[in-house]
Amino acid sequence: MYNNMGPQPGMPMPQANPQPNPFGNAFSGPGSGLIRSGLGAYGEKIFGSSSEYVQSNITRYFSDPQYYFQVNDQYVRNKLKIVLFPFLHRGHWTRISEPVGGRLSYKPPIYDINAPDLYIPLMAFGTYVVLAGLSLGLYGKFTPEALNWLFVKGMVGWFLQVMLLKITLLSLGSGEAPLLDIVAYAGYTFTGLCLAVLGKIIWGYSYYVLIPWTCLCTGVFLVKTMKRVLFAEARSYDSSRHHYLLIFVALAQFPLLIWLGNISVNWLF
Amino acid sequence: MTKDFAVPPVVFPSGGSSAGANVQQRRFPAAPFQPPRPSTSAIPFMSFDIGSAAASSATPAGPFGGTMSSSSSFGGGSASFEDEEPLLDELGIHPDQIWKKTRSILNPFRINQSVHKDSDLSGPIFLYLALCLFQLLAGKIQFGVILGWIVVSSIFLYAVFNMLAGRNGNLNLHTCTSLVGYCLLPVVVLSAVSLFVPQGAGPVRFVLAAVFVLWSTRACSTLVVSLADGGEEHRGLISYACFLIYTLFSLLVIF
Repeated sequence: MYNNMGPQPGMPMPQANPQPNPFGNAFSGPGSGLIRSGLGAYGEKIFGSSSEYVQSNITRYFSDPQYYFQVNDQYVRNKLKIVLFPFLHRGHWTRISEPVGGRLSYKPPIYDINAPDLYIPLMAFGTYVVLAGLSLGLYGKFTPEALNWLFVKGMVGWFLQVMLLKITLLSLGSGEAPLLDIVAYAGYTFTGLCLAVLGKIIWGYSYYVLIPWTCLCTGVFLVKTMKRVLFAEARSYDSSRHHYLLIFVALAQFPLLIWLGNISVNWLF
Repeated sequence: MTKDFAVPPVVFPSGGSSAGANVQQRRFPAAPFQPPRPSTSAIPFMSFDIGSAAASSATPAGPFGGTMSSSSSFGGGSASFEDEEPLLDELGIHPDQIWKKTRSILNPFRINQSVHKDSDLSGPIFLYLALCLFQLLAGKIQFGVILGWIVVSSIFLYAVFNMLAGRNGNLNLHTCTSLVGYCLLPVVVLSAVSLFVPQGAGPVRFVLAAVFVLWSTRACSTLVVSLADGGEEHRGLISYACFLIYTLFSLLVIF
């Protein structure tokens, strides 16, 4: 699963990335030039040693990003339905795992609706920036610099969400979920946020209905996902601490999304 | 009849010169750095002497051909000015190609994809300047903003396309920037048209902008999917990314 065990003594294999990849490894192939040159250069500077060591260490922190983009139209539609209306999801929330080469790893997003992906968070973030610019313009306060500040604000919000989830994981489990998984889960909040901002543009008063709805939905989605992730992670199951932290995650969505949804020229509030 | 000059005649040094110290000697224009040239060198070394440039048989074509021939004209006469390439070819700007590509996007219903096979950046620069000009006429000085947004959005589209297409995605950044730039043409037309539409966020401006943004999106996603492999089954996903990019540019125009 998440590679809790290090390499066995006597096995010279480095801790490589276990994700199954019908699309091929991210470090080969034409689309990966960006990753290889970018991460490789960064790794060389920090570690300054051979490239296998660099690759294995980078993949330990940044699991293969290609995995998160194996999506198609149908997956995107169904995932949006789950994120925006998590109460209506009748299925289970666990990710399907399959043994690959003796190691347990998760199926890519096309085959598993519960797998995280990075396409939806990225597009939702972009939509949020564009819609926020639109709403600024409707109030007559649009300037390109204001849009840059909105981008920064969105990034800070995403980062805060990632911190929240990561700290929850660290204090309860071993916190070894891949970083990009956490980034993906945190990015799903932008979908609900886009809905709220769209509602604000169309009819001002709908915002006061949509924001609590979005906070609730995002809270439920994150709690259910974190419960599954913690289940896979936690060495000891401390029930009350679990529940309190999960409720804290759900409640913390309210100030965060209200701050992100409040679109104004000065980005702090 | 020869005139008498006060300056003594120039004598070029030949092998075994016999001239004394009072004869002025003019040297060849020496190259500033003469690397040591061993007679037996393992690595083939191409010397960059100015004098030997004309003698090298492998003169590269394109923009460097012009400089080579102009540097060899030191040794030759002034007759090589006509041998130089025309300026536009040297710079890599081909106006007929730019016009063909631009005209292919002008028709919103049928886009000719074959003319876009070789990408160039001079057309997009031209369209960028046109967009900045129309924005300037509307009173907004946004040269740096638009250039920055073009760069960022082409990197965004490049990353999204290659990630989605997986192993067989082969869009390269030059082609991506070229396509994003050329499909900016409807936005340029929008900014020209919106100069005549009255100011203020009326519904007319939004409907107009929506039409042009959809035109742009359709052009860009068709071209990107047809010019690079691996994008066919992700057409809707890629066109949403293009839609975001062009909506961003239209925001600059509307507001």
